Amino acid sequence: VRGTILRQGFLLLVIAFLPAIGEALYFRDRIPWASPVPASELVQVETAKAWGSSALWVDARPDDQYAQGHFPNALPLNESGWDKQLRPVLEKWSEEKKIVVYCSTQSCGTSREIADRLRKQAQLKNVFVLDGGWEALRVSAK
Amino acid sequence: MKLTNKILMLAFAFCLAARAHAELKFEQTDIELHPTPTDANAVAHFKYENTGPKPVHISSVQTSCGCTVATLKSNDVAPGDKGEITATLSIGNRTGLQHKTVTVLTDDAARPQTVLTLRATIPTLLEVQPIFVFWKQDDQIKPKTIKVKAGADSPVKKITVASSDPEIAAQVEPGDGPKEWKINVLPKDVKKLHNSTLTIAPDFPATSPKLFYATARVIGGGAN
Repeated sequence: VRGTILRQGFLLLVIAFLPAIGEALYFRDRIPWASPVPASELVQVETAKAWGSSALWVDARPDDQYAQGHFPNALPLNESGWDKQLRPVLEKWSEEKKIVVYCSTQSCGTSREIADRLRKQAQLKNVFVLDGGWEALRVSAK
Repeated sequence: MKLTNKILMLAFAFCLAARAHAELKFEQTDIELHPTPTDANAVAHFKYENTGPKPVHISSVQTSCGCTVATLKSNDVAPGDKGEITATLSIGNRTGLQHKTVTVLTDDAARPQTVLTLRATIPTLLEVQPIFVFWKQDDQIKPKTIKVKAGADSPVKKITVASSDPEIAAQVEPGDGPKEWKINVLPKDVKKLHNSTLTIAPDFPATSPKLFYATARVIGGGAN
């Protein structure tokens, strides 16, 4: 009887896994952990805070969320307001600055996209994505 | 009937039962859009129908980014009623494939959450690279070049550039290929700090061209 139950259990698992595997393959570009931010481009909250005035903080969340609260001196920069918001960021930038981009959650892709645009289009160096985003900043402030 | 068959039948029946109670049915949950270069928004209409015997209440419609707004006429859908959720992606200066989602939450126990996907392929009017050039005060005065390239299907044939700071000049000249240009940027001197917004205007759309921007700065040696 035990062998039968094990066989049946195994069979059910295989049946359950087949569509799951198919979906994972078909939607592989949507799996958040399939395209993680490289470790070299991530920065932890405590490290970024320790950079002090040499860090230039960029808030990649939507404008309304930025208006509700943001890290001190952080500048807004998101895809919708890119043209208007980029100039103040570039005005604050200097060669020794490290740019720290954050958005609303750890899995949020916006901060990575904004960081990529700053690196590729503006050709800025030392651009980092904040690990844990805005939530991690709030936790660290408690 | 073998035990295996019974279990399989039970699992199958369970799946069917779940589907039978799914009341709010969407015609499409994944919509592809191809906006034109002049479009300000990409709009997807997700049509639905309540195919069940009970009313469904849509409690929340959440978008994956602030760039997308989702609206619906009524949160309550009576049995047999049809409606749609309109998802509007503000194109802004986005280009390429954009993938945004709308999460619909309902009181339908069988399917409390549905994720709607909007995929928009936004044509590239112009590519500007880099969008930032700078000189340090101890640098030699040499021009820096910003390359501008029209997208493959872009109707742009000509561009003009204007510098907001008269101390930083910007001139357009033909680039290396067709539909390519070079903007040569040169400050008159690097002793003073300067900050210029370069406004790049294509000849399309003729009446109100979509503007592109770059920044040119003369920066100090230290932090500012």
